[in-house]
Amino acid sequence: MSIVYLVAFLFGLTAEQCSSELIEDSSQSFMERMNTGKTSFVYFGNHVNPTIELFMEQLERSADALEDYGISVVKVNCSKDPIANYCTGEKLMTKAHLFRGSEVLRSFDIDTVFDVNAIVSHVLFSVLFNEVRYVHTPAELLRVENAAKQNSDIVVGHIPVLGLPEHRALMEAAFVYGTKYQFVQTTGSLVLRHMGVVDSSSSQARLWFLHCKGVSRQSDPCPSIPMRKPLKTINIHSFLQLMEAPLVTEAVVDPSEVDVVHIHLSVPVLYLFSQPQTQHLDRATAQTLALQLHGEAGVVLIHRDSPNVKTPLKYNAAYRLPQEDVKYFTLNSAEEVMKLFKEELVQEHKIEDEEGDEEHWSDLDILDDEVSESVYRDRDHMQDLESVTELTSDTFQSTVTQNDITVVLFYFKWDAVCMAFIQSYIEVADALEGVSGVELAAVDCGEWTDICGDQNVTSFPTVMIYRPMAAAQPYRGMLGTKSLHSFILLSLVSSPSHLSSSAEVMSFLEGDLYNKHVYLSAVRVLGLFSSTQDTGVTSFVEAARLLRGETILGLFAHKEAEQWVEGLSVNLPALLVSHGPGVPYKVYSIPSSSSPTDHVSLIKHVELDHFPELTVENLPWYLELGKPLLLLFIRKEDSTESNKSLAEIKRPLSSGQLDSFLPCWIHLGRTPVGRSILEKYLGFVPPLPALVISKLRTGGEVFLFPPERPLMAKNILQWIYDVEHGQEQPAGLIPDGKRGPPVPFFDFLAIMDQEAPTYATQRGPKMKNGGRESNREQKHEAPNQKQTPHPSPNPQAPRQHSEL
Amino acid sequence: MSVIQPLFRLLCVLSLATSGSGLHGRNKTVSHEYCVLGAGPAGLQMGYFLSRSQRDYIILERNTGPGSFFNIYPRHRKLISINKIYTGRRNKEFNLRHDWNSLLSDRPDLLFQRISRELYPNADDFPRYLSMFEKELGLKVKYGADIGRIQASEFYGNRGYILSDQNGVNYQCSVLLVSTGLWVPQQVDFLGSDLVEGYESIPTDPEEFKEQAVLILGKGNSAFETAQSILGRASRIHLYSPSPVRLAWQTHYVGDLRAVNNELLDTYQLKSLDGLVEGRLEDIAIVRRGKNGGKRRTAKKRSQTSTKGKEPLYLTLTELLDDQNGKNISEVTGQNLPGYHTDNFSLRQPYDRVIRCLGFHFNFSIFDGSARPPQSSGARGRLPGVTAWYEGRGTPNMFVLGTAAHSRDYRMSAGGFVHGFRYTVRAVHKILEQRYHNIAWPATILPISQLQSWILKRVNEASGPYQMFGVLGDIILLRGSYCEYLEEFPLQALPQLSALSGRPLSDHGLLVLVMQYGLNRTDTLGPGRAESEWTKAWRSNFLHPVLYYYNTLPTEKDMRQRPVGWPLPRPEAIHHMVEDFLTEWDQPISHSQPLRRFLEHCLQTDLRAFYAESCFLLSLTSRTPPLFCRQGYLRKQGIVGNSQLWQHAREAGLMADH
Repeated sequence: MSIVYLVAFLFGLTAEQCSSELIEDSSQSFMERMNTGKTSFVYFGNHVNPTIELFMEQLERSADALEDYGISVVKVNCSKDPIANYCTGEKLMTKAHLFRGSEVLRSFDIDTVFDVNAIVSHVLFSVLFNEVRYVHTPAELLRVENAAKQNSDIVVGHIPVLGLPEHRALMEAAFVYGTKYQFVQTTGSLVLRHMGVVDSSSSQARLWFLHCKGVSRQSDPCPSIPMRKPLKTINIHSFLQLMEAPLVTEAVVDPSEVDVVHIHLSVPVLYLFSQPQTQHLDRATAQTLALQLHGEAGVVLIHRDSPNVKTPLKYNAAYRLPQEDVKYFTLNSAEEVMKLFKEELVQEHKIEDEEGDEEHWSDLDILDDEVSESVYRDRDHMQDLESVTELTSDTFQSTVTQNDITVVLFYFKWDAVCMAFIQSYIEVADALEGVSGVELAAVDCGEWTDICGDQNVTSFPTVMIYRPMAAAQPYRGMLGTKSLHSFILLSLVSSPSHLSSSAEVMSFLEGDLYNKHVYLSAVRVLGLFSSTQDTGVTSFVEAARLLRGETILGLFAHKEAEQWVEGLSVNLPALLVSHGPGVPYKVYSIPSSSSPTDHVSLIKHVELDHFPELTVENLPWYLELGKPLLLLFIRKEDSTESNKSLAEIKRPLSSGQLDSFLPCWIHLGRTPVGRSILEKYLGFVPPLPALVISKLRTGGEVFLFPPERPLMAKNILQWIYDVEHGQEQPAGLIPDGKRGPPVPFFDFLAIMDQEAPTYATQRGPKMKNGGRESNREQKHEAPNQKQTPHPSPNPQAPRQHSEL
Repeated sequence: MSVIQPLFRLLCVLSLATSGSGLHGRNKTVSHEYCVLGAGPAGLQMGYFLSRSQRDYIILERNTGPGSFFNIYPRHRKLISINKIYTGRRNKEFNLRHDWNSLLSDRPDLLFQRISRELYPNADDFPRYLSMFEKELGLKVKYGADIGRIQASEFYGNRGYILSDQNGVNYQCSVLLVSTGLWVPQQVDFLGSDLVEGYESIPTDPEEFKEQAVLILGKGNSAFETAQSILGRASRIHLYSPSPVRLAWQTHYVGDLRAVNNELLDTYQLKSLDGLVEGRLEDIAIVRRGKNGGKRRTAKKRSQTSTKGKEPLYLTLTELLDDQNGKNISEVTGQNLPGYHTDNFSLRQPYDRVIRCLGFHFNFSIFDGSARPPQSSGARGRLPGVTAWYEGRGTPNMFVLGTAAHSRDYRMSAGGFVHGFRYTVRAVHKILEQRYHNIAWPATILPISQLQSWILKRVNEASGPYQMFGVLGDIILLRGSYCEYLEEFPLQALPQLSALSGRPLSDHGLLVLVMQYGLNRTDTLGPGRAESEWTKAWRSNFLHPVLYYYNTLPTEKDMRQRPVGWPLPRPEAIHHMVEDFLTEWDQPISHSQPLRRFLEHCLQTDLRAFYAESCFLLSLTSRTPPLFCRQGYLRKQGIVGNSQLWQHAREAGLMADH
């Protein structure tokens, strides 16, 4: 039977074989391969590190899988066979290429094709590029549908995450059935909503079958049947078989003898018995029922007039559940059978539901906090605190006065946020090992509560910087490896640098002095004062002390300072800000009688970029400005298009036309979460680069620069004008609403009231002492009655007591 | 209250005036803002707090050294307060949970373990410790001042007290802190009570009890301690009192019989001639059987048997001693003994000694009329009645501290014991600071995002609420985005919170954190005694943290009508943190997450933590990012994490994958 064969084939596809099919090419065999015109997936490498080793393992496994599709998987050792074009360049090692003949169909980051499922799904998707349609929006899907009507049926797969087993299953099905059905792949949540999925937030993969072939008129919609089982190769296969099977099978034998595909696919079957006189009516009933049960059960119509049918007359219907015997019953109406069948099915659901219920309770035991859960999942992983000094009450004081800088982390072992951060802290400590004058230490506040109390630590985790003879300085930056690492290194730079000549100023801004710390920060802030006698100098020096670790500051208090503001409409004292060599300086005058904290906020303000790349680390500084964002998203791969669009936005920047906005950009390679932002804003990811206005603080509208319009300064300004004047429709809305508890409350009071009705209720006004204890006045027994010493069985405490 | 200061100056002037007159040289008058009566543990503890806040105070002590009670008691010299030095922990606060003898101070080394390393130390060590405490902290104690009389006096409408000592010196005090303890032996008046020896004066040498039958009145620790010491010498020991014995390990009340004293339970239950009997003390009489009372058939051997030693003592009932006219008979005969009427009456055999071990009561006698606090309604009136903030009822500006203040939590918690009242003394001191010096109850200001970890910190180390379970609790005043955390407030005074603490309530409500034992309806050692499922935490039997959430401050009426057995009225919402075998309430699934969800309900906000990347996404795609992001990430203090952690979070489906 062809079904059996197909199943075997599909199983064959997924089963891994023992012998490896991975081919290693020399330069010669590679050249030959290029000429064959066959499809091959090639990885060029020159050495092996742990990441590559893992990848090679997966590559090997994919070789076996892809062989079934006639695709060779090849590796080339570049150190042996340096093949031109591929064995050179930065992308070597991190890329794999899909060839058809000598033509590169697509290149993949090995991050994308991280395992066998990802390799197979991405390679097949590329190979099937013309067969499988990729749609974003319902409109695109409708176009595909219209084209397919009366022609072929459509299989729509919604794959929220590419490269996972579900994606592979869909691609493998597309490879096998691609000529028979039109395959459609989508990732967008809009299509999901279009298909009638209410809860579009779930990341479950889904599949639908659209019966377009049988549509009689072009204007009719294609009936769609969802697949209810998880997206796996075998489930897709049986689902497609079900979709192919005739709605109603007619038979002339007893139910147990009827062989329909449903039985093989473990799907329930409904048998209806038909009398010759009511044959038409019975057939119609069967059709109706079959339509309602499509995809969930098969329907068989058995003609009673055949002598082979021996079922007693009192029954007019039967059903058979998978792996069970036929059960007969008497059917009075179609509704009844639906009810029964749905109930049978529902029963299954019910069981599932009950399980679901239990799960609901055990759900309470699933951590729903990403930090807690990730730390919890990591609980088996011992933290190696070797590079961090664990302080105790005895060692704390001596340690923090010993080094130029002692960094101390105050943490709780049981606090997930602390334990998440401590990993970063250890990374910093490891990175700083060998840097003299710096020591990283930690205090477990669960044990050394006295130290943490003395140091006034009330927030966890807290990082403090101790220097001998100076007050402790709290670290106020991001609690991450990169930020803390550079903070500590910057803390070692004297602040401010006292500059004594214009030459030194030059060196500070772009010369040797600059280069010394260029790897820490590109920004330099210089305080310009006409003389050291200037009253502002002390404030500036104090501010510089407060900003240690955050900003590299220089101080030039000299008569030559005037030269640096010459020709600018700024008077001394002034701040000069440089964002790196080649970038024009900016100069700001310092208001007289500024306090150190005024200085700090001024410096923090002038340091900000005017067209920043938003990153996870720097966003808070820019959001503080409270302006609507003019936000450009650019793609991972650096392209001239991206650079051009950046330049186009920069153009009107200097003229102040964008002052009411914060012009900024997100690089999806460095900040991949940007993709999710676009999806949240628009419901889909438009072609990149994409420019949006996000009115985060005012109204919450999001506007998308029309993708078809060229990203030119002129167009951008026009578009902004239109947006400002209500000429543009918002493309999305940023939700505003109270963020309530994420899960329903577990109400102990309600449970008490139910399980112990009076336990939690207030007493009435008259009840005294609650009367919980019965009055156990100890009556002395009359002498003619027995008095026995009675041990007290009841530990319940009587009120009277004679001892203290 | 600055009224106090001028009042003081006035008092000083007055005292100068009186002493200056010189006519009655002995009638010296000294004035102090605070007078602490008694240099026991409670007095010294209060002295420490007064000295730390630099108040004008004096501690008056009639003896020559501190803690003189402990020079005599317990008679058999074994303290039963736990001195557990090795806890496996270095957390000083946590270790106080298992150190029942030390007083509180800011000196980390001023602990009882410096004096003794015994789990049950010798009683002599305690006065030594107190003496060290007093000296090292330089507390102002006046020894040898025996206050015989306390009078109330009014100055400009403020109640003060005048204390007179044996030398005629008068101490004028604006605030009187009574920490005299309980030391007057409790006696019950019955016929023959003069034949009874007292715990305070019995010999402690077991040899003195050799081959003697002993009846002990009382079933508390002193009774059992006495029984235990003579167990190897006495022929038979019976314990008699109204209530059945109550075991501390069943009631969780440390005043009940401690297992360290309970050997007699063994000898009773193994039928080794000892026993316990219940009956009223007022109904009994202790008598000697008259020499001529019984009818004797042979009087020959009389001289041989009973001339030596004392006549044996019989326990009988008053009603058997009355003759027809209701008058006491002069001679006791066999008919006057219960054994004559009930042949197997359990206490029919005579005793060589009857010992009274009935505890002590407060010395009310030194207080003059209006200065005298009323007798407590509970504890058989042996204690002074006090308000929820330990001020004498009807005696304003007089507070009762230490064991004498136990009426608030008598038979409930540890307020009658050093390890409990050291915390109530601290609470009273904070109330004094607010009332007389306008210094509000100390509070830690916390952003709401830090509240959960602060609660967990307290739950896992705080000794005050742990020792004074059900009595002292932490109060969290919610103020929107932040809260004020007040430690160890007396729960019964909750309706007066604002006045007593100087901290007003906002309309965000408040949380109260209390440590509680549970319903205790199961066998203490039987199956099902422990609960491990957090969803059934309210059925926890062992000490566990409970949080109460109120929209508004409960009223006095709410407090009076609170559910039976509860320390507080029914709240808006309650959360029990499931009891823990190790008393470590720090596990993510059973402790932290349920607590977080409770707080989320009370605050109606999402309190989950997020990595910086998630905060980045939420800050750009929502106009109200979660609190954790607002109070952390958006203040530039985001938790970045690393790829491994993100991977875990993504696999769990909690973090967006891109």
